[in-house]
Amino acid sequence: MKFHWFHLMPYPYLPDGFRERYHSVWVDLPVREVYDPVVGHEVYNDYLDELEFADQVGFDGICVNEHHSNGYGLMPSPNLIAASLARRTRSAKLVIMGNSVALYNPPIRVAEEMAMLDVMSGGRVVSGFPVGTPMDTVFCYGENPATLREKYREGVELILRAWKSDKPFPFNGKYTQLRYVNPWPRPIQQPHPPVWIPGGGSVETWDWCAEHDFLYAYLSFFGYQMARKTMDGFWEAVDRHGLERNPYRAGFVQFVGIADSDAEAERLYSEAGLYFFNRCLHLFPPYVNPPGYTTPATMRKGLRSQVKAAAETFASDLTWKDIIERGYIIAGGIDTVLDRLTDVADTLNVGHLMVMLQYGNMPKETVLYNTQRFATEVIPRLRGRFDEWEDHWWPKDTLPELATPAPLTEPAGV
Amino acid sequence: MSSGTATALTRETVALPSGRSQVVLRGGEGPPLVWLHAADGIADDHPLVTRLMERHSVVAPLAPGFEDLAELDEVHDIHELAIHYEDLLETLGLERATVVGHSFGGMIGAELAAHYPARVAELVLIAPVGLWNEDYPVIDFFAVPVPELPDVLFADPAFKPPPPPAAESEEDIDVEALVTLVQGLTSVAKFMWPIPDRGLARRLYRIRARTLVVFGAEDALAPARYADDFVAGIADARKVILPGAGHMVPIERTDEVLAAIEEFLAPVAA
Repeated sequence: MKFHWFHLMPYPYLPDGFRERYHSVWVDLPVREVYDPVVGHEVYNDYLDELEFADQVGFDGICVNEHHSNGYGLMPSPNLIAASLARRTRSAKLVIMGNSVALYNPPIRVAEEMAMLDVMSGGRVVSGFPVGTPMDTVFCYGENPATLREKYREGVELILRAWKSDKPFPFNGKYTQLRYVNPWPRPIQQPHPPVWIPGGGSVETWDWCAEHDFLYAYLSFFGYQMARKTMDGFWEAVDRHGLERNPYRAGFVQFVGIADSDAEAERLYSEAGLYFFNRCLHLFPPYVNPPGYTTPATMRKGLRSQVKAAAETFASDLTWKDIIERGYIIAGGIDTVLDRLTDVADTLNVGHLMVMLQYGNMPKETVLYNTQRFATEVIPRLRGRFDEWEDHWWPKDTLPELATPAPLTEPAGV
Repeated sequence: MSSGTATALTRETVALPSGRSQVVLRGGEGPPLVWLHAADGIADDHPLVTRLMERHSVVAPLAPGFEDLAELDEVHDIHELAIHYEDLLETLGLERATVVGHSFGGMIGAELAAHYPARVAELVLIAPVGLWNEDYPVIDFFAVPVPELPDVLFADPAFKPPPPPAAESEEDIDVEALVTLVQGLTSVAKFMWPIPDRGLARRLYRIRARTLVVFGAEDALAPARYADDFVAGIADARKVILPGAGHMVPIERTDEVLAAIEEFLAPVAA
């Protein structure tokens, strides 16, 4: 198994009474009123420290993603964060769980930036191509919900073709026309970095991933029991395409909190967990489900995206007990955590586990504690699971020797 | 869709020269009148359509996408939508059409008449969208919570339908009804998202049709002030504003809207 440390970078100072004072954490939460950029300076630097710490203690990957106009995740550009991490990390792969391809005009921009990051990091990039949440894509960025998915797919196909092509070519698409496709630089990983498709659970995505041999990462925040239906659907699509159920085809997100006991876990993690579920996921329902975002096929399958579930589930405040019982957060003593994570791996057949060890307004020292314990007590115990499978969805061309940032000294003179 | 009377709408599929097909509902007798529906589609007990059928042969195309979202694949933008409708009128032999559109249908009617000025002889725009003024913006219709929709659509409390009962569980949801509703809204969104302005203001001068603009004075979706913008932009246009009514003025004030249309069309009939 592989273990990845995933940061959402939430704004940790959403005010008390948030749900009563504001109707949504996303889209129209007034930035001038709620966000303090001076505080934000500390927040970004703390969050980068946390990601860099995860690299130091041995996580396989560190994950960043893209969201817009919200207090839930402060990375409108995950590539900027990845660029910063490229210089200060050495071994962890940079798992970039977004660029929401339809939002880049032309989508070649994504091919360029991913290649830049891959070259800068010495071949450590995993390239995620999400559709993006409805809040990000259709409300904040004005994309048309009727054409979003088609535009997204055309963009992904263009990027992949650009990476694979031996020479410049013209592209006459429905959404992008380019006379010359020839993005510089090209990535170290050939023909391109592994492609991961983060999804909220739409039927079309499963077949698309299977057809193109993309990794499918199910980003549910609602625990592995609720995720079962979605992951079963994905594995059935894998079967339909005559492919093996290689667990490394799949990723899953799980919130975790490790402590000496279950009671201690509540003391350490409940405030942060409640902050995340009751403030960061406070969503105005219409923003979650604009017409066209969910396809008729997905509606008929009875699958609801995680964000829709969020808006509907949280009509009232959750309690810590709800969060634990429903498995949204796996928190407790090490035995509890190992037991539950084994269950996640078995139930969902996922080889790539993305863990949230920071959530909500968790203090930095708690984040580092949680991260350290996960690295030393969980990873070694679960590492060997799925060893019988080869991971084809992971960087393999990473340079053996990385350039080292030079020390900050006076020039010696010439 | 329950009316079993002799005036019920019948349904046919028309093959277009583009190779696409188009669902058309028809009913009534008299001079032809093209009805362009709003985001709610066409119910065959629609009060205004039913009344129009008393004196007109109503031809009501179902907007592309409402039947099947794939119908929208080859209709990329508002210009191609106007071409699509012109193809339809040509195929139906409607040389100089009388076109009546409500809301999104009004936007299509105005765009059709602006793209093909000779094709539309009379144009009735009922609470049309298609123009934008930041001082009195069209509301973000797609971000209205379902329980609040009646308040946005209707001004007259007598006509507000009760909000649908909340589903107790996922099993209670009528998925096919939901799919139909969402397909319609998606089809409308293609030409209205995120702002229902595709440049119509720059084309209004091309409309040669005699035009009647009808608004409910209390329209909370598209404020009645847009009536003046349509009238100012179209060479031969007049307006009727009906007090106490909202965006669903064809339902809220069926008699008055019908009277205004018939009076407007009277010189044609005579």
